[in-house]
Amino acid sequence: MKRFAWPSLVISSLLTVTLAAAGTRPQYGGTLHVAMRVAPATFDPSDNTQPDSFTRRNLTLLIFETLLTIDSAGRVHPALALSCQAAPGNQRWQFRLRRDVKFHDGTPLTAEIAAASLRAANPSWKVFADGDSVVIESEAVDPELPAELALPRNAIARRSPDGKASGTGPFRIVDWQPGKKLTLAAEENYWGGRPFLNAVEIEMGKTYHDQAIALELGRADLVEVAPEQVHRASMDGRHVSSSEPMELVALLFAREAKTSEEKLLREALALSVERASMRSVLLQGAGQPAAGILPTWMSGYGFVFSAETDLPRARRLREQVRAVPTWTIAYDPSDPVARLLAERVALNARDAGLSLQPAATTSPDIRLVRILLASDPWIALAQAGSVIGLPAPKINAGSAEDLYSAEQAMLATRRLIPLFHLPATYAAAGSLKNWTPGPDGRWNLADAWLESEKP
Amino acid sequence: MTFRRKLLALFSLTVFLSVTLVAWLVSAMTRRAFDKADSNRTAALVTQFQREFERQGAEVAHQVEAVAASDAVTRMATMLNRASTDSSGYFELAKSLADGYRLDFLEFVDARGNIISSAQWPAKFGYPEATFVNLSSSDQQPAFLKQEELQDSTTLGLFAVRASHVGDRPIYIIGGRRLDKNFLSGLVSPADSRALLYQNRADRFSSDLLVDPAAGNAPAVTTRSADKLAPLIQAVRQSNQEMAVLIHWSADQADDELFHAVPLRGTGTERPLLGILLVGNSRRSYVELKRYIRDTALAVGGGGIVLAIFLSSWAAARVTRRIEQLALASQQVTAGNWNARVEVSGGDEVAQLAESFNRMTAELMNQKERLVQAERVAAWRELARRLAHELKNPLFPLQLTVENLLRARQSDSNQFDEVFRESARTLLAELSNLKGIIGRFSEFSKMPQPQLQSVQVNDVLRAIAQLFQAQLRAPGHPPIACHLELDEQLGAIPADPELLHRALSNLVLNAMDAMPNGGALTLRSRGANGKIIIEVADTGSGLTLEECERIFTPYYTSKQHGTGLGLAIVQSVVSDHGGRIGVRSQPGRGTKFIIELPRNPDTLRSVSAASPVSPGKG
Repeated sequence: MKRFAWPSLVISSLLTVTLAAAGTRPQYGGTLHVAMRVAPATFDPSDNTQPDSFTRRNLTLLIFETLLTIDSAGRVHPALALSCQAAPGNQRWQFRLRRDVKFHDGTPLTAEIAAASLRAANPSWKVFADGDSVVIESEAVDPELPAELALPRNAIARRSPDGKASGTGPFRIVDWQPGKKLTLAAEENYWGGRPFLNAVEIEMGKTYHDQAIALELGRADLVEVAPEQVHRASMDGRHVSSSEPMELVALLFAREAKTSEEKLLREALALSVERASMRSVLLQGAGQPAAGILPTWMSGYGFVFSAETDLPRARRLREQVRAVPTWTIAYDPSDPVARLLAERVALNARDAGLSLQPAATTSPDIRLVRILLASDPWIALAQAGSVIGLPAPKINAGSAEDLYSAEQAMLATRRLIPLFHLPATYAAAGSLKNWTPGPDGRWNLADAWLESEKP
Repeated sequence: MTFRRKLLALFSLTVFLSVTLVAWLVSAMTRRAFDKADSNRTAALVTQFQREFERQGAEVAHQVEAVAASDAVTRMATMLNRASTDSSGYFELAKSLADGYRLDFLEFVDARGNIISSAQWPAKFGYPEATFVNLSSSDQQPAFLKQEELQDSTTLGLFAVRASHVGDRPIYIIGGRRLDKNFLSGLVSPADSRALLYQNRADRFSSDLLVDPAAGNAPAVTTRSADKLAPLIQAVRQSNQEMAVLIHWSADQADDELFHAVPLRGTGTERPLLGILLVGNSRRSYVELKRYIRDTALAVGGGGIVLAIFLSSWAAARVTRRIEQLALASQQVTAGNWNARVEVSGGDEVAQLAESFNRMTAELMNQKERLVQAERVAAWRELARRLAHELKNPLFPLQLTVENLLRARQSDSNQFDEVFRESARTLLAELSNLKGIIGRFSEFSKMPQPQLQSVQVNDVLRAIAQLFQAQLRAPGHPPIACHLELDEQLGAIPADPELLHRALSNLVLNAMDAMPNGGALTLRSRGANGKIIIEVADTGSGLTLEECERIFTPYYTSKQHGTGLGLAIVQSVVSDHGGRIGVRSQPGRGTKFIIELPRNPDTLRSVSAASPVSPGKG
């Protein structure tokens, strides 16, 4: 009995390991059903008329590719460009393109097409082809150019005469019903290897509630989760994954503070906001309270800007001002949490002696905005400055001190009162394997696969 | 105005006053009845609102109790009694439960009075409930009114408070419903009634605080017209008592509305005035019915008055016809027809009056007959006296002459012839005198009937003046001046020119006899009321009152040698022409004879036909 025990145990163990490995082995095939809130009108990466969002970035990167990619640690990786070479002074960059890459319409990727695509996205840039390379020249030192090129908006697209954009990404467009549904199919000849998924069907314009129901009923494999629903979704046993907090929720004043009294009132407002309780209740613990533009994980010093409520000081500042105007605050009516945040801010402001009235007006004094930041801090700061209407900060040494100074200078204008940094959160069906969103909220569907149902 | 018209006017006035009085009474009673019905309806509506208010309050309390007993709240209360549990996970619970339990307001408040979850203002979590002190003691109490502050406004609601005592720390559930258009619309109000709600949130009246369930639909209380409710609302706010006022929305009374204002108070010791319920009753149906009654009353009254006038006219004619016959008979009696009679019908007072009248006229006729007989006797006596007097004067010389003649025959035949001749002359003279006397009497008895023709009176007067011109200025006599004062517009009258000339001549002769020392004779003519007035005036010795009364009596004379027939002839002529003659005189101040002659020949004929037998003809 003892002689047969050990061999039997070994055999059974081997069988168990083999079966387990077969269960986690990637499978080709299947259609991934995705539901999402936004309904973009176009997928052209260079179209600046469309609002930026996690979803749009992900859709862009499913169909198109950038010259370079950048990871959460800020390291640059080759994509369509095999290599990049910077001239001394970082004023001239040369990117050598990967060979044998074709667009979805069969057109080979050339330096001319890539240069034209970059010029369309950045009209102020000096971009030209040089053999199989793309050369970008700038008048100022721009050490952040590789990170810039990794942004989805700088993805390479070939535009046909009728305006349609074709990409080189892992999926190609099969069917497109603007505002409703997008069907993508795996690109068989993708240079990085065919995706495991055969197709991706994306339902657009679905509310968070509809998405949750679709996931519950098995009609969707991947859905978005509102920040305030993350906790509940986790409690309900959903497979929830979040990115790093990359979306800044802030109060944006419509104009500059012209007087010192106005700045005092804006500072009083910033001090009166109960970020902690808002995060705890309205956001159900999601996101991070923010007093700075950049999240701490990105800048490393975010804690320096205090997000604590200081009502006594807010009142003292308010008392220094004789006449207090009634500000109107507007928010995105389609965003359910935005209304609550605006109303809570108005309540907090009233406690400080300020008058803030939520209103659905087109020209409010204050707007509750969401700013989707890039993963690069300098670029993120530039994005915030662009929203505020300030020029991009000058990058000197590119040190943390410089970044802090630039951010503090931007906050000192009192145009922006940061409230929270929110992550992008998704809930996936259990059948979706090898899928985790990137730190920047990227879907990374190229390596994900669907587990087939057991017979 | 005739008696018939007076009677008709009296009847009509009586009917009019009666109809007016009845209409006023009906109107007053109708108004009183409608006011009472209006008051009852308003009271019913107010009572209904109070019942509806209580019913809604009971329903709110029931719903809040249901919320308090729900599994979700029990779980929440259980979890929150654990020291480590955060309430942030329940901030949406109130909203989700409020929809399910049909509550407009729902809040969960912890034992310290902080809001855990608010359906009406979700962002208010963590804030203290302002009225918690009052509300926490309202557990298990009926529903109450409360002003609820919202994000952008303040509104009035019907609230109830219940507590969930799962652990040591109770959770208070404050739920309610909004007192808004839907609440007011839910009140089952009678036709022409409506309910408005004024939210007492400002120091002054504001139309924005008026909740009108018909807003947007006609006839909603518009902003401009809502100001008319301001005095009522202000008065209720000051007195804090129920009041009623009639609101005139327009010049049309049918648009009037009687508003009954009921103050709605909150809880607590002060019980502040939170709202005012305005129960409006339209006066349209009342005014329209009142108009209908008025129009009907006017039509019926008008018709009644017209009918009454007709009936009154008929009745007045029936009543006055016999009166008129009596009046006509009286006029006939007045005109000299004493033989007038009226028809006697029935046995009423008028019939008795008619009988009395007939008896009176019969008695008058008898008296007249007796009077005529007496006058006739008196006339004959006067005639006999006169005749005796007239005849006695010639007879006495005749007697003396015959006696002288007899004595002459007996005594002296020589002188007989001379005496005979002298006596014969005397006898002849006296016989002639007797013949003249008899002739005059014969002439008076033969006064002819007037032969009427168109006569210009002025021409007659001028002719007489011309005729007597010579005698008036005869030598040896004091002159008498003759004056003609004639109305040249007089025109002609129907008359017998010869008789008229004779009568006027007699008057002129009398005047001349009355002025032996001269004077002035005036002949005057003028018209008056369908008559012609002729005056013959002198400035002579005048007449005494007795002479004036008897001067027209036949054979009466004031003169030495008069027959007393001149003025009797004049009166006879004037009477035959349908006229009258009178005299005005005073001794020493002259005499004026006034003759009235009718212009209309019909008058003459009627008078002639009705006139008694002329004395001249007798």
